[in-house]
Parts: sequence; C-alpha cells; structure tokens
Amino acid sequence: MERRAEAPPPQGLDFTVENVEKALHQLYYDPNIENKNLAQKWLMQAQVSPQAWHFSWLLLNMDKVPEIQYFGASALHIKISRYWNDIPADQYESLKSQLFTHITRFASGSKIVLTRLCVALASLALSMMPEAWPCAVADMVRMFQAEDSNVDGRARCLALLELLTVLPEEFQTSRLPQYRKGQDPELFDTAVEAVVNAISQPDAQRYVNTLLKLIPPVLGLQEQLRQAVQSGDMETSHGICRIAVALGENHSRALLDQVEHWQSFLALVNMIMFCTGIPGHYPVNETTSSLTLTFWYTLQDDILSFEPDKQAVYQQVYRPVYFQLVDVLLHKAQFPSDEEYGFWSSDEKEQFRIYRVDISDTLMYVYEMLGAELLSSLYDKLGRLLTNTEQPSTWQHTEALLYGFQSIAETIDVNYSDVVPGLIGLIPRISISNVQLADTVMFTIGALSEWLADHPVMINNVLPLVLQALGNPELSISSVSTLKKICRECKYDLPPYAANIVAVSQEVLMKQIHKTSQCMWLMQALGFLLSALQVEEILKNLHSLITPYIQQLEKLADETPNPSNKLAIIHILGLLSNLFTTLDISHHDDDHESTEVKKQPVQQGPNPVVVVLQQVFQLIQKVLSKWLNDAQVVESVCAIFEKSVKTLLDDFAPMVPQLCEMLGQMYSTIPQASAIDLTRQLVHIFAHEPAHFPPIKALFLLVTSVTLTLFQQGPRDHPDIVDSFMQLLAQALKRKPDLFLCSNLDVKAVFQCGVLSLKFPEAPTVKASCGFFTELLPRCGEIAPVGQVVHENGKVLLQAVLEGVGGQASRSLMDHFAEILFALNKHCFSYLSVWIKEAMQQDGFPSARVSPEQKETFSQQILSRERVNKRRVKEMVKEFTLLCRGLHGTEYTADY
Amino acid sequence: MAYQLYRNTTLGNSLQESLDELIQSQQITPQLALQVLLQFDKAINSALAQRVRNRVNFRGSLNTYRFCDNVWTFVLNDVEFREVTELVKVDKVKIVACDGKSKYGIGYK
Repeated sequence: MERRAEAPPPQGLDFTVENVEKALHQLYYDPNIENKNLAQKWLMQAQVSPQAWHFSWLLLNMDKVPEIQYFGASALHIKISRYWNDIPADQYESLKSQLFTHITRFASGSKIVLTRLCVALASLALSMMPEAWPCAVADMVRMFQAEDSNVDGRARCLALLELLTVLPEEFQTSRLPQYRKGQDPELFDTAVEAVVNAISQPDAQRYVNTLLKLIPPVLGLQEQLRQAVQSGDMETSHGICRIAVALGENHSRALLDQVEHWQSFLALVNMIMFCTGIPGHYPVNETTSSLTLTFWYTLQDDILSFEPDKQAVYQQVYRPVYFQLVDVLLHKAQFPSDEEYGFWSSDEKEQFRIYRVDISDTLMYVYEMLGAELLSSLYDKLGRLLTNTEQPSTWQHTEALLYGFQSIAETIDVNYSDVVPGLIGLIPRISISNVQLADTVMFTIGALSEWLADHPVMINNVLPLVLQALGNPELSISSVSTLKKICRECKYDLPPYAANIVAVSQEVLMKQIHKTSQCMWLMQALGFLLSALQVEEILKNLHSLITPYIQQLEKLADETPNPSNKLAIIHILGLLSNLFTTLDISHHDDDHESTEVKKQPVQQGPNPVVVVLQQVFQLIQKVLSKWLNDAQVVESVCAIFEKSVKTLLDDFAPMVPQLCEMLGQMYSTIPQASAIDLTRQLVHIFAHEPAHFPPIKALFLLVTSVTLTLFQQGPRDHPDIVDSFMQLLAQALKRKPDLFLCSNLDVKAVFQCGVLSLKFPEAPTVKASCGFFTELLPRCGEIAPVGQVVHENGKVLLQAVLEGVGGQASRSLMDHFAEILFALNKHCFSYLSVWIKEAMQQDGFPSARVSPEQKETFSQQILSRERVNKRRVKEMVKEFTLLCRGLHGTEYTADY
Repeated sequence: MAYQLYRNTTLGNSLQESLDELIQSQQITPQLALQVLLQFDKAINSALAQRVRNRVNFRGSLNTYRFCDNVWTFVLNDVEFREVTELVKVDKVKIVACDGKSKYGIGYK
C-alpha cells in the first residue's frame, strides 16, 4: 500500500489509537528511512506509556490488520513483563480473562499475534504465580478444554499448545527477580500431563494436520532429553518420553497414512527407539524404557494392517527399524555385572525379571513381522559370539541372545526353522559360568522340546547337559522342568536313554538335592519316560526306582506316629502318586499324529502300575491303620489310588475288590471326604462293568449308611463330608440309578439328608446338594422308591428351596436353586402346583419383605407356560430373591 | 470407572455375600454396598495390572468368537495351558476380554 510520505508526528503527540496506527503505518510503509526511525522511536515510547494499557486492546480489534494487532499484543506483553507494578492487584483477574478471551479469538486468527498474546499471558502467569494464581497451568488447560466454547476444538488445542510452548521460554528469558526463578519440577510435570492428555484425547485423531504439526516440537525436545539422560535426570527423560510415546502410540495409524510425511514420522519413531534403548539398567538406572514397549506392538499392528502394496513400502522402511529394535531390546535385557546385581534389592530384581518377560513378549510379537530372518540373525550373532576367540564374550551377552531364542521358540512353531540344529550344536560350546546363563540354557532347551520330538537324532546333544544340571540345586527348577518337558514330548524316542535318566534321577532323589515340588515333577517326568517302554522294562525300572522308598515306608510304618515321620510318609506317598499320574501305557492322552507310528502295540497282561500297587497294597494298609486319624495321611493314600484310577481307568479293575474293602474299613472307622471322592470315581468308571461293580455297590451302600449315621449325630461339623456325599449320590444317580432300587438303601433318609444339606452355610455344600436333587428328580418315573419318596416328602424340599431363595442362602447360588424348581416343574408338576400354594400361604414366608401379591405373582410365573424355559425360570427366581432381600431396584444389584 | 467383570469371581462373590448379609441385618445401606463394590473393582483391576506378572501360554481350537460393546468373548476347546512348572489340559475355556488400554473403560459383564 503506497501513500505519500507524511510528516512524522511531533514529539509529545498524544498516545492515542489513531496516532499509533498512523505511526505504525509510517514505520512499515514510509519510504524515507528517517521517518521510519522517528516513527519507531515514538512507538517505543508509546509502548511503555501509561496509555498503552488502553490502546493495546483497541489495536487488537478484529477489523485491524495483523501488523497493528501485533503491536497491540506486543505492547501488552511489554507492560506486563516490565511494568508489573503498574497494575493494581484488583485488576489481575480482569487482565487475565481479557487475555484469555483474546487468545481464544486469535486461535483461528493470525499466528504471530496469537503467539505474542500467549507470551503475554505466560508472563502474566509467571508474575502472578504462585500466590495470586497458584494453579495457572491447570487453569489454562481447563480453559481450553471448555467444551461449551464456541471456538472449535482444533483451534483451542493449537492455542493451548502454543501457550505451553512459550511458557518455559518466557520463564527463561523473563526479568523476574532471581528469587522468583528456580526449580519448578511441578510445572514440568503438569505441562507433561497437559500435553499427554491433549494428545491422548480420543477426538484428537480427527485433527491429522495438527498432529503432523506436533511432530517437530516434540522432536525439538530431543536435545533436552539427551541432556536429561546424561545428567541422570530421570524425571525429565520420563516426561519427554511419555510425550513422544503418547503421540506415536495414539496416532500411529493416522500418521503412517500420511505417506508424504513419512520421514517426519520415522524421526519420531527413532526418538522413541532412543527411549527404548536409554542407557542404564531398568529399574535401577532408568524407568523410561518400559514406557515404549506397547508402542512397538501398535506400530507393527498398523503396518501389518495395510493392503499388500502399501504394506510393502512400509515394510521396506520399518523392517530395519524392527531389527534394530531387537538389538536394542536384547541389550536392555542383559543382566548387570555380578557385583552390581548383588547390590540390587529383591524388589529391584523382581522388577527386572518382569521387565525381561515384557521384552520377551515384545520379541514374540516382533517375530510375527520379521519371521525366519530374525532367527537366522540371532543365530549368526550367537555363532559369532561363541566362536570369537579374540574377544571373549561376557556371559550376560550370551545369555541375552539365548533368551531371545527362548522367547520366540516357546510359543512359535519353529519346526520349519533351519537354524535350530545349528543352535543346538552351539549349546555345548557355551561355557556355563553362571546360574542365570545355565537357567536360560535349560529353558531354551525346554522350549525346543517339541522340535526335538520331531528331530530325535538331536536329543543326545542336549540330554547330557540336562542330566548334569539335575545335580545342581541352584538349577533345580529349570533342570527338572526341562527334563519333564523332554520326557513328555519325546518319550517315544527316549527308551535308549531311559536307564541312564532313571539312574541319575534316583541319585539326585536320594541325595535330596531338590525341594518337594521338584521331586514331584521329577517323578512325573519319570512316569512319562517309563510309559513308552515295554512292560518288562517298566517293571524293572519301577522296581529299582521304588524299592528304596518301599523300604523306607516299611520302616516308617512300624514307628509310632509323630510329626517328622508324618512328613516323610506323605513325601513318599506323594512321590508314588506323581509317578502314577503320568505312567500311562495306553497312551489315551496323546494327540500327536506323528506318534501313531511310534506307539507300541497294545500291551497284554496286567498293567505294571497295577502290579506295583498290588505289591505295596498291604504296606499301604498298614500305614493307613496307624494313621487313620490323620486327614492328610489319609488324603495322601487316597491320592495314590485316585491318580492311578484316573490314569489306568479300566485297567485298574483287578484292584477294585481290595480297594473297596480298604475304603470300607477306613470309612467305617473314621469318615473322611477323600474316601467318598475315591468311591465316587470308582462308581463313575465302573458303573457299566457288571463284572467289577459288585464290590463298588457294597462300598456305596456302606458309605451311605455310615454317612446317614453321621447326620444323626450332627453333620454341621463336616461340611466337606456332606459335600462329597452329595456329589457321590449325584454321580450314582447319573451313572447307576438302579443303586436306588436296593432294599438296603434308605431313600427317604437320604432325601431328608439332602434337604438338611441345602441349609448349610458353606456354598460348595449347598451347590452339591442342589446337584443331588437335580439328578434325583428326573428319576421319579423310572425308579419307584425315588418317585414315592419325592411325592411324599417333596413339599419339605420345596420349603427348603424357597427358604434359600427367600434369603437364607447366598445370592450366588440362586441359579442352582432354580434348577431344582425347574426339575420339580418338569417331573412333579401337579404336586408342585399344590405345594407351592400351600407354602406361600404362610405369613412372612419365605421373607417378611414380600407382599402376598408378589408371592402370588411368583407362584404363577413358576407354574406358567414359561416353566419349560430354564433361562426364564432362573430369571424369575433371581427377581424374586431380590424382592425377598429388599434389594430389588437398587443400583447395587443392577447387574444381577 | 473400572471394569466390573471381576465381580463374578470367588473373591468378588464372597465380597457380595458379605455385603448382602450386612444389608440384610441393616448394618449398611445398598448404596454403601455399591460404593464398596466399585472400590473393589478399582482395587482388583489395579492389582491384576500392577502386581501379577507370571506368564501362562495357552493354545486350543477356537469354537466361537464374539466382539460386542468393545468386549471380546471366545470359547475354546481342548485347550492346553503351559506355565513354567505345569501343563494343564481342559475341554472348554471361555475367555472374556476387555480393552486393557482403554482409559474410558466402562463396566461390562
């Protein structure tokens, strides 16, 4: 815009809006440099004049050009920052709100003006904090979050960002007296919080351009980050990392989509990589790297979700990045020096262990993207490490690489990888100087056990190592669990090594190298191992394995019971149980197709486990007779048979008579739940074997009659017995209902016990009782005694059920009570109609809180057409129970 | 508000039983009971996220899958659970999964 040069305003001209505007125009557009200088001098005076407070606002009017507005903003800033004392305290709030208003207006206006206004506000905040405006930053954030503003969200977001960006700068450059400056970590924290929140808002993903614009300032924080890392300022590095991750993780898809800006996003990704690889050990030296892990999952997911063409492009860029990530993660996973590790607290060690598991998870995920090339890469690195004679490697480095292998091999089907043979070949070359390394070697072998099953020729490369490790108590868990895995997966290829494995195992068991749990696992491992041998081999090995324990048990059985020999007895019995759990020669648990070829033909003759059990039976009986009072010993004895029965199934048949007799004697003397549970198993398995059932039937009747006696004496002290008994009855009804035809069975008494059991406070007992009735009621038709008892006593049952629903039983059991009602409806409908009317007639029954109308409604619902719909019946019961308990319509039970 | 899906666990059910009893005997109001449950939700969500760090691997055959209201439900058959020390096989497993990253997680069953 050209104008004729005008004479400059003389000194002393009033600082009015018009004059200021004229002077500004002169400053920008007068061709004469002298005039410009004069105008500038005058304007500088104007800025610091008292009138500046007045004309600044006017200059900011929306009808003015940006140069004019800018001058207004600039003047305000100068007054606020240099002439703070001019402002009376009662003007602070007005000044603040005016600035806010203008900032929001300029959010969608000229950027330079906006910036200057933000700087002015920042200066205001710094001057007012902390006394006059204690929570300035929080207030600012809140102001801009205000949903009811008529300024759009994006603009508000930009304005806020601008404000927060200039705030620290202003702090640096302000002329605040020294005492007002100084550390304000709280400000930093709040600022980080504000930025992270702003970026993480679900809405933010709509403003892609804004997000793109955010990348440079975030990248700009890298220098600060580097300094913080160098100086060990964990707070700062943590905060900056959070910002970078927030942007990357929340918006990776949107930002990736901006193909033209791929370099910018890549720079952000590399910044996050820097955070992942922050120097020092987690959690002792840094706590930042863990923040980045989920970002890598998200990025990978997004890359892999693109269509093939686009994905190919991104893979080119990001595959190298992910390879780098693997290196970084494996480096971070390395243990510190032994000396340093020794100083860590147990809490820090545990956190580090968890951190390594997180890294392991990340590696597993990354394998999805990088594939076989990743394994090859790891293998190459390991190979070079182990064959490099010039530079000896640290065990930490080796262990981390192996850990990488282990992480991937554990869940991925590595059958098709060609590096595994090489890896297994390398393992013996590892000099195992350290417990951590040894553990990782063990776990890596264990992770490859399925692979070994398909490549049995390599088993002998690793088996000696495992057996050697068995002798080291420090490697107890890793060595035993690895042996177990190998025995489980590779059993058909282990017969050549069986004798050796048994011998080594025996030795370590005798030397008591391992704790109880690991001893048990070891026996399980041996069970797997032996089950693949021929019967004569099994018996031979069993004999040598068990004989020492049998001898010990014989000695212990002769001693008077005391706490120490109790432990020893339970230990030996436990070893036997665990052995029999997995010693299964019929192989009905196997599901691998490849094993079909390797299986031996079905064995003839008695099962070796049965042979052994028969041999030790008398001894066990002897032990039992002395320890009948001790629930734990009885449980251990029952456990042997329980595990054996589960594994042997029909093969157990030869032992049935002996066992039933023993159980009968046991139970008659001292009733215990474990005996009933074993009885139940026998009923389950042999119900349809007429040849073997008679002793079981006798046992069942005996158990029932003894338990009925118990009920007369007071069952309340034995909820576990009642629980098991109800389950036994239910099982009998399910598998062999004609047991209830026996004249020896007092069906009525059993029924009455069931009703009593419904009222126990223990939930499992009540649940089992409900289960009993649910099995009983359908038999009304086919089993005459049952039908008779139900028809004569069903009303009492109904009362008990309604009592429970009415509030006496736990609300969590209502579905089970509903099942009884459903069954009553189905099998005794006409009776139920009468009973329920009679029951509901009682005042205050089943609860004082329900009205007669509500009771009537419920009765009708139960008997209505909907009674055939089990789900509906459950709903009706639930609704009624809420009414009875005064909980109907409360928010507390809204989801019931 | 934290996920409510842990209310139907042994711990959650035991808590509700106790609360029910207290309401029945009029020692507390249903509103207070609700506050307790909400606090339970927070505590258990936090504890499971922060304090439980064992890893179990599992694999099985997918029978059904469902994604509704931001909740995944899977039913798997013949599932093997592997942990360092144990291998457990089960016939049927139902998995209900809510978004762990969601800040705005609202309770779903």
